[in-house]
Amino acid sequence: MPAQTDTLLRYRPWRGTLHGPLWSALAMARVSLRLMFRRRLYWGLFALTLLVFFFFFYGQYLVVWITTQVADDTVPVAGMKVPIKDFTRFLDRLALNGTTHTFGNFIWFEGYVVVIVLALAGSVLVGNDFAHGSLPFYLSKPIGRWHYVLGKCLAIGVFVNLATTVPAVLLWIEAGLLFDWRTYYLDNLDLLAGVLGYGLVLTVTLSLMVVATAVWVRRAVPMVMVWMGAFVLLRMLGGWLADILGDERWRLIDLWNDLYLVGMWCLGADPATLRPQPQPAYWEAGLVVGGVCAGCLLYLRRRVQAVEIVN
Amino acid sequence: MTAPLIDLHGITRTFGAHTALHDVTLALPPGRVGVLGPNGAGKSTLLKILMGLIPPSSGTGRVLDQDLGGDRDAAGNWRLRQLIGFMPEADSLVPGLTGIEYVGLAGELYGMPRREAQRRAHEVLSYLELEEARYRRVEEYSTGMKQRAKLAQALVHDPPVLLLDEPTSGLDPAGRDAMLRLIRALGTDHGKSVLLSTHLLADVEAVCERVVILAGGRVRGVGTVAELCSRRQDRYRIRVEGEAAGFRDDLESEGVRVLAETTPGEWRVTVPDGWTNLAFFKLAEINQVVIRALLRDDETLEELFLRTVSS
Repeated sequence: MPAQTDTLLRYRPWRGTLHGPLWSALAMARVSLRLMFRRRLYWGLFALTLLVFFFFFYGQYLVVWITTQVADDTVPVAGMKVPIKDFTRFLDRLALNGTTHTFGNFIWFEGYVVVIVLALAGSVLVGNDFAHGSLPFYLSKPIGRWHYVLGKCLAIGVFVNLATTVPAVLLWIEAGLLFDWRTYYLDNLDLLAGVLGYGLVLTVTLSLMVVATAVWVRRAVPMVMVWMGAFVLLRMLGGWLADILGDERWRLIDLWNDLYLVGMWCLGADPATLRPQPQPAYWEAGLVVGGVCAGCLLYLRRRVQAVEIVN
Repeated sequence: MTAPLIDLHGITRTFGAHTALHDVTLALPPGRVGVLGPNGAGKSTLLKILMGLIPPSSGTGRVLDQDLGGDRDAAGNWRLRQLIGFMPEADSLVPGLTGIEYVGLAGELYGMPRREAQRRAHEVLSYLELEEARYRRVEEYSTGMKQRAKLAQALVHDPPVLLLDEPTSGLDPAGRDAMLRLIRALGTDHGKSVLLSTHLLADVEAVCERVVILAGGRVRGVGTVAELCSRRQDRYRIRVEGEAAGFRDDLESEGVRVLAETTPGEWRVTVPDGWTNLAFFKLAEINQVVIRALLRDDETLEELFLRTVSS
């Protein structure tokens, strides 16, 4: 039994300095990420985000190399001489040339995987704490309730940035190396700031949404249904309504499009160059994103404050 | 001079129109204290105030020289919670984590540096005889192991105060006995102050030096168990030899109440006001029985509790 003398001798007091609650939030984020990546599914999905990155990375390399090195060369195809640059026409839409739209398009495509991962991860990161009564464990510690939310948001933010901002910054670095690094980096610092801004908007919005929806529905399947509703059904519905009613504001119900618009504003893109057209104004999308964040915060405030630690 | 464990002055806590705690004034030295009370007595509210989870509506107080009250997330309350290791009644495990990760995370949430939290988690789990199971996931633990894991996470930062909410809940008799001996040893051998909140009076008797009895939001009794139980002067344990039935009838006709017959001819009794011991002997002489033993008897904790709560 633990109370026996030989066992008691093993108990040693601990004396040390305790950190403040922000350190605790970091620990919570680290453990949450470990919980998430303990499942192979998430490694598979993360590999998908890397695939998208490598597609853009090598695509950009290929396009720039062809444009600058062998643009006017031709190869014979069925007896006809076809310019090599025609082979990469299908990549034109992605604008793989280190410009605003390169980064906008990259994050847009990464978004599909990110949304799937977050839909699945919500229950692991947050829902289980509510479903299995883990909250008294966290909240009885010397942290505030918002530190709990911060810790979970940090974990989600790390994943979102690993899938979007970090590779986008790598693409920016690559573009500088492919073009003239002496001028590209200095001339395009605003693009780097835009990428970081886009990442910040995604981090804040998506992490708050994940925590709020996971607190609401808790389980993985309903969570996936809610997220698919928000990011797939509303997207389709927004597109149809905008086309049928001829009012581009209907696209505002497509949250991923709103995030894209705010991100493109951060990147300084000309609204006329966005696809599909017409699009709502940047400020309108910003209002929707801000409203979603505020709604999530209000909901979380109500739900997390209501948790009883001592029954 | 050692700071008092709890020093409360006129603590009142209201929730809307409902007063959960009413003018609670309490001073307790460090030691093992049982907090008793029926449902709705205000135990949970008192524990929440002691942990700094909610501020009192009025009144002041200190726990080990740390002020109570203030805002929910104020730094003072974090310091207060760093002094207290809380073992919740609810399962409050984090599914997916191993025992060592769970306890290590608790250490970090209390503010310990990561490396030290890990080292200390190993020590505490070994002390609680969970070293074999420390790499198993906590959701796979038996009830007894879960309780010990919960105690480990409360003990990881070596707090001076342990606040244990129903620590023997769901344990079999052997597990319960082991847990109680362990808690007692933490108090006696390692100088921990223990606040034990439970409905099981036997647990309090086994562990605690002092009890606080709450009912209707007020303190109805406070003191050492021995002192409170011996406060009654109207109880006797009497053993007689001879024809006991007639003697018992005569006792009862004089207003003596027989509480229990431990063996034939041996009773625990309460006497009416104004009773003198001589009356026992007079009635014995009349009934021709010999009084072999007449001892002043104490209340059991259960009797004390029921009497205090119902008064």
